[in-house]
Amino acid sequence: MKKTISIILMSVLLISLLAGCGGGGQPAEGDNKQAEGGDKAGSEIKIGLCLYKFDDTFISTVRQAIEKDAAEKSKATGDKITINAVDGQGQQATQNDQVDTFITQGYDIIDVNMVDRTAASVIIDKAKKADIPIVFFNREPVPEDMDKWDKLYYVGAKAEESGTMQGSIAVEYWKNHPEADKNGDGIMQYVMLEGEPGHQDAILRTEYSIKAVEEAGIKTEKLASDTGNWQRAQGQEKMAAWLSAFGDKIEVVFANNDDMALGAIEALKAAGYFQGDKYMPVIGVDATAPALDALADGKLLGTVLNDAKGQGNAILEISYALAKGKDPELEGLTDGKYCWVPYQPVTKENMDQFR
Amino acid sequence: MASTNTKPKTKPSLQTSELKAILSNNAIYMVLLILFLTIGILNKNFLSLSNIGNILRISSVRMIIALGVSGALITRGTDLSAGRVVALTACISASLLQRPDYAYKIYENLPNLPIILPILLAILIGTIIGIINGSIVAYLKVPAFIATLGMQVIVYGFACIYTNAQPIGGLRDDFTNLASGSIFLIPNLVLIAAIIVAVIWFMYNHTQFGKYIYAIGGNPSAAEVSGVKVEPTLVKVYALAGGLYGLAGALLAARTGGATNNYGLMYELDAIAACTIGGVSTSGGIGRVSGIITGVLIFEVLSNGLVILGVSAYWQQVIKGIIIITAVAFDIRKYFAKR
Amino acid sequence: MTQEHILEMQNISKSFPGVQALDNVTLKLKPGTVHALVGENGAGKSTLMKCLFGLYTPDKGHIILDGKTVEFKTAKDAIENGISMIHQELQPIPHRSVMENIWLGRFPTKKIIGISSVDHKKMYKDTKTLMEELKIDINPTTLVSKLSVSQIQAVEIAKAVSYKSKIIIMDEPTSSLTENEVENLFRIIKDLKAHGVAIIYISHKIEEILEIADEVTIMRDGKKIGTWPVQELTIDTIITKMVGRELTHRFPPRKSIPGETIMKVEDLTSINPRSFKNVTFDLKRGEVLGIGGLVGAQRTELVEAIFGIRNISKGKIYIKGQEVTIKHPFDAKQKGLALLTEDRRSTGIFPMLSVEENVLIAALHKYLKLNFIVDKKTSSEAVKAAVEKLQIKTPSIKTQIQYLSGGNQQKAIFSRWLLTEPEILILDEPTRGIDVGAKYEIYTIITDLTRQGKSIIMISSEMPELIGMSDRIMVMCEGKVSGFIDGKRANQETIMKYATQFA
Repeated sequence: MKKTISIILMSVLLISLLAGCGGGGQPAEGDNKQAEGGDKAGSEIKIGLCLYKFDDTFISTVRQAIEKDAAEKSKATGDKITINAVDGQGQQATQNDQVDTFITQGYDIIDVNMVDRTAASVIIDKAKKADIPIVFFNREPVPEDMDKWDKLYYVGAKAEESGTMQGSIAVEYWKNHPEADKNGDGIMQYVMLEGEPGHQDAILRTEYSIKAVEEAGIKTEKLASDTGNWQRAQGQEKMAAWLSAFGDKIEVVFANNDDMALGAIEALKAAGYFQGDKYMPVIGVDATAPALDALADGKLLGTVLNDAKGQGNAILEISYALAKGKDPELEGLTDGKYCWVPYQPVTKENMDQFR
Repeated sequence: MASTNTKPKTKPSLQTSELKAILSNNAIYMVLLILFLTIGILNKNFLSLSNIGNILRISSVRMIIALGVSGALITRGTDLSAGRVVALTACISASLLQRPDYAYKIYENLPNLPIILPILLAILIGTIIGIINGSIVAYLKVPAFIATLGMQVIVYGFACIYTNAQPIGGLRDDFTNLASGSIFLIPNLVLIAAIIVAVIWFMYNHTQFGKYIYAIGGNPSAAEVSGVKVEPTLVKVYALAGGLYGLAGALLAARTGGATNNYGLMYELDAIAACTIGGVSTSGGIGRVSGIITGVLIFEVLSNGLVILGVSAYWQQVIKGIIIITAVAFDIRKYFAKR
Repeated sequence: MTQEHILEMQNISKSFPGVQALDNVTLKLKPGTVHALVGENGAGKSTLMKCLFGLYTPDKGHIILDGKTVEFKTAKDAIENGISMIHQELQPIPHRSVMENIWLGRFPTKKIIGISSVDHKKMYKDTKTLMEELKIDINPTTLVSKLSVSQIQAVEIAKAVSYKSKIIIMDEPTSSLTENEVENLFRIIKDLKAHGVAIIYISHKIEEILEIADEVTIMRDGKKIGTWPVQELTIDTIITKMVGRELTHRFPPRKSIPGETIMKVEDLTSINPRSFKNVTFDLKRGEVLGIGGLVGAQRTELVEAIFGIRNISKGKIYIKGQEVTIKHPFDAKQKGLALLTEDRRSTGIFPMLSVEENVLIAALHKYLKLNFIVDKKTSSEAVKAAVEKLQIKTPSIKTQIQYLSGGNQQKAIFSRWLLTEPEILILDEPTRGIDVGAKYEIYTIITDLTRQGKSIIMISSEMPELIGMSDRIMVMCEGKVSGFIDGKRANQETIMKYATQFA
């Protein structure tokens, strides 16, 4: 009896594993098929894509954009472009091993989303030795590292820009809605939901959003700030606690990303906001699908689009050009190696273009 | 060191010793009460009805997860897959309960399902994962720590595959109302948690299954010799746990109005810590539902209270750690009382 | 204060909630003697020793060691002051060598390039010398996991000696030793005596005490009854003083006449080639079938296989003429079998659970409402009745079973199985580690059961018990049945002859 059960279990496990592999393998097969169609015409280009973490919403979108563009490019040019994406699991050591693997397997280009942006020099040295160009993205290596070799590129957005845009959205609302200053003291009392402690985006968004408000001549007062670890549930829990602590004293809610902003909105809803004229401006970043929905619904005041598709497109274009041995002739390349993809503020008025 | 002190120790008077016994036997309740009062004194908003409602609502989901883990702990196992199962089931139930007019629906032509169906599906999926967990632990004899750690990774993978790492939003109001609404001033979530607590309490204390759980935890070989079918019982324990995570996942989605694949991160460790604070022995055989409830409440009162007091995020971590250790250190006294 | 005594424990009292464990007990120990401490379980022997060893703090009284009043806070204090205890359950570190176990916590060290490190050479030499002094033949580098119980005990004694202990407490040192090993232990004890070491010897085996002890202190119910030179005592006087009443017979009278055959075992063979093979026997209604043999005769393995805990490669079991397959204790239970295992602690009791839960666990299915809810009323009544019937001494049925004495724990396990209403009870060393009074009660239970028509299979390593209780004795040797002896005609010589037949 026990034996039978063991055997059944083992088989179930195996099958589920195989199924899992099959599921993961499908897009790759798809790529191959597409590539096979144009095989005669073009060469094979292998791009290694190192992500700091698979479960980051934004990074996943970038990855999907790269994969989609690669497929389209393959079709258009007849070159067989394969993208192999690996998960760094938030650990630099893991990512270094993955880069090593790509180098030994003779990949043409490696696109790296650093786990620790200060740790790029090891990777750069190895790539330089193997003469494989690197396109960094999303997390910017320090300038000293970027100057180490001329085949290093960076695609990203200026994180401070997203903060600045959040601030501008708040300023515009504040100026157009005198009732936003609930206690009429002329000072913006706000709370801040921060991302993972130490995350560059979190630090810069926190700093620059408020800076933008102050630079517009509005005084601010921080009632509270706390980390929500980018998570919706934590955003909700912290917001609920703040509502208990401060009640109507809160005038604006800033969140380092949309998930936390949406969590905060749930807490606000539970406290009776967004009914009648009880309103709270909440501002996030990322312009995710649920965030756009909340914008349309009038619950989210604004968000900032970190242009994942634009970044993905830029990454692929640079990678492709490098693989073809061309100097990447992309517009807007600063200092010959930085490609800044701009953020875009999104509010109810202009949201339709981002749907 | 040996001392030459011969002075006979004065016995404490009966009253103080009795008081001591009461205190040491109920240390965790005392810790909860002290926490509650201290935070309340420091900030009166903490004691407001709406805030207590908040704490209870948040605790409800955590409690259901902790009750699930407790069975595994009592039978000398553990379940590290809890958090990720919560994530997967949250995503699945959320994806099936999106508003018809929501622009980014996962299933575009999905009819308006009755809420109960996706919730039951979440419970079912959790239960299936639990059955697999339990079978691996019971029949393949893989240590629970490893088996459920593996399952944690697998389930996370499935959650990523299912959601493509994109957040799921636009949940139907009738679904989110399930979490935000209340009946006769009692929040629905609290009501649901109370029902689960009652069911589990009854199960642990009044059913054959419950008696077997404690027996297996107390001495697995003796249970086997007594004719208890240890393996099927273990499978049931993990299946029950999985089902509870599924329910918790659905409720979490309803409460937060959305779901992502990174939901439930570290929830299993919080749940295990809450159980341990509540007196569930990690070496098996001991654990009471009242303790688990208290453990979860200590956790959530602390989390909420520290935010309300405006303690910085980094110090919150330090204080939480200290309270966990202190609570257990106090509670464990009662086992030394016999000396 | 006379220097004649190395240790004086004066007027020691200790109480726990609800129990006066020690009541004004005085114990005086002369150097170079063996002082036996006897009494039923719960008489306070262990508590007294724990007070001496720093594990408990006495409520009253003091301890004078070598003329100085001392108060030990921890076992470490006691050890450092020359007191060692050889426990009932020895707890060495299995996967480390003998010498590392002996010197753990105080390894000899040397400096290698200025870094203090363990001096293995010195440790080996010291251990070797120690072993030679005690005439113990164990290699210091052997892993402890490879040693037999008696060898581990010898290592523990060596460890005690290495601490220059003046007093060694031995708590049931022979409970799991073979006769040869006991002889060896006694030789070591005599050697220790010659070196002036005083030994406090706790044992239930009165024959042994008469052989090895110089003085005997008898305790009952937390009180000291008295101390006598061993020459003034006999088995009967000791038992009488321990139990507090006359015990005219060591075994209750038995008059039952075995009836028809109820179980038949044919050619039962283990899947382990080194275990039992080709075992055939039958069991009659109302019969006590004793199983005798030396340690390693595979008796436990045989009964556990019958009960579905171990696997068999061939053989058949018939109950009431019907062939049965038993693959799990659950099946055995359904077929009317019950098993009281040899090792109460590891496979018998649930230490943290209550007496009630311990008693109920095997028969829960009989007290269910709607097939899954435990009917607290009827089940509690059944437990209370069982506790009363077997006179289990416990403050309440809610008390955790770990606080009961060994004899009462054993009676609780008896109750557990009696609630399942078995036809056949298999008892594996049913009186191991149980004091004389409780033993007699267990014998009475067995006799009563046979009178009710229940059949008993009883493994015992105690010859008098085997002979005194069995209708028939099946003797095993090296996994095979070497012979059957009629209970009335059995004596130690015949049993030993069969037990060593294939050796």
